[in-house]
Amino acid sequence: MNWDWSAVSDFMPDFWKGLLVTLQILLLGSLISFVLGLVWALLMRVPSRWVTWPVGAVTEFVRNTPLLVQLFFLFYVLPEWGLTFSALSTGVFAIGLHYSTYTMQVYRAGIEAVPVGQWEAATALNLPLRRTWTAVILPQAVRRVIPALGNYVIAMLKDTPMLMAITVLEMLGHARLFSQEHFQFTEPLTVIGAAFIVISYLASLLLRALERRLVH
Amino acid sequence: MSQTVSGSASGPTRRSLLAGVAALGALGAAGCSRVATASSTKGGDLLGRLRAAGVVRLGIAGEIPFGFIDKNGELTGEAPELAKVIFKRLGIDRVQPVPTEFGSLIPGLNSQQFDVVAAGMYVNPERCEQVIFSDPDYQMLDAFIVRKGNPKGLHSYKDVVAKKAKFATGTGYAEIQYAVEAGYKESEILIVPDQVAGLNAVEAGRVDVFAGTALTVREVVKKSAKAESTKPFAPLVEGKPHVDGGAFAFRPTETKLRDAFNVELSKLKKSGELFRILEPFGFTKAEMTDLTAKELCGG
Repeated sequence: MNWDWSAVSDFMPDFWKGLLVTLQILLLGSLISFVLGLVWALLMRVPSRWVTWPVGAVTEFVRNTPLLVQLFFLFYVLPEWGLTFSALSTGVFAIGLHYSTYTMQVYRAGIEAVPVGQWEAATALNLPLRRTWTAVILPQAVRRVIPALGNYVIAMLKDTPMLMAITVLEMLGHARLFSQEHFQFTEPLTVIGAAFIVISYLASLLLRALERRLVH
Repeated sequence: MSQTVSGSASGPTRRSLLAGVAALGALGAAGCSRVATASSTKGGDLLGRLRAAGVVRLGIAGEIPFGFIDKNGELTGEAPELAKVIFKRLGIDRVQPVPTEFGSLIPGLNSQQFDVVAAGMYVNPERCEQVIFSDPDYQMLDAFIVRKGNPKGLHSYKDVVAKKAKFATGTGYAEIQYAVEAGYKESEILIVPDQVAGLNAVEAGRVDVFAGTALTVREVVKKSAKAESTKPFAPLVEGKPHVDGGAFAFRPTETKLRDAFNVELSKLKKSGELFRILEPFGFTKAEMTDLTAKELCGG
């Protein structure tokens, strides 16, 4: 095996561009999945099967089909119906939507873990439903689930290379283009592999700090 | 879904982390032993080995009409059909297709995933540094896929730059270099996996133009109601119109096989059989060539 440091330095400008895109996907994707997941979780608690059945069906469908298939579908099939988005927007939306169906379950667990006494107290105080949720239930529920949500952020980070399939140039996309142009595979792939380790490790440190602050 | 954050509050100790890194390193070192790529005999002994095995593996890129699998699951196309004839004359009866992406053909050849690239690959100096080519069996101009009626009036790479059109081409295509040479910014080129994805990008309005060989482009727009192909034109290389030639690629060590292949190829050219083999795939007399790999490699 030949290791060529000059290939590494040649690759670095591309690498930074790719890193920026990967982080963008991760940040926006997380945001979408956190918000949308909460929306799903709350909708699932609406006491009407006219709401829970459709929401349940849609989220089950999204959760049980592969992200890659969803990406291809959104990127190649939607334009035939006149809906065209850029590759990056499509990718961010797809990954956010996909992971929202996981975070929804995390929120559900968090909400169910709030002791029933809290609900009873809110009723006893005659709090309106909106205040019960925003001031009593959700602050306790969300606090509990931060570590679990963090896991999904890291899982999402590792799924970002899938966006390469729809021509988004994130880290792996740049590495592959560089490899095909210069016929050097070892260096760029090693560099991005190391970058993934570093990012996930930093993210897990950050999450642990957050967890300590919020939970204890 | 993998659980990445451990629930426990304490992180890994420095020592366990170091041990882990060391173990990873050992694994990497063990993974480095690889199959010897070059044979000891000069010029390579692949021809002999292929004769003994009776089968040669062809790398193809699923590109109509150069090399693809047809509706019946049969390998066909300009390059595979020609390869079938030539390898039979060299004493190898069967060919086995290995489909991959165009951009992975040269890396795949050099990492032994197949023995020959039979994808009608253009011969150019960058590729000549990585592989050796047979003499070209056809010559070709470029063409664009554009939306019906060519609303932006794109007929050459210069037009693309002058009219600030959004430009796409395929992974590892020679067209990337032509666009860059005409002044298009390389980082702004959309690289799609193949010509079908390129057609889709034009139809969906993601780009204004997709560049490919005249023949690929002509074939892929046949099924499209929203896009058309432009008239074939010669890209400029160092200011001069450049005609490309497509050929078969071999690993750099296998010169004997390449030379034997060339001998049979030139016989086919002389007898006119070559044209009869290529004609069903849309090639015309204008695309027959006397170019050599040496000329196209640029010395």
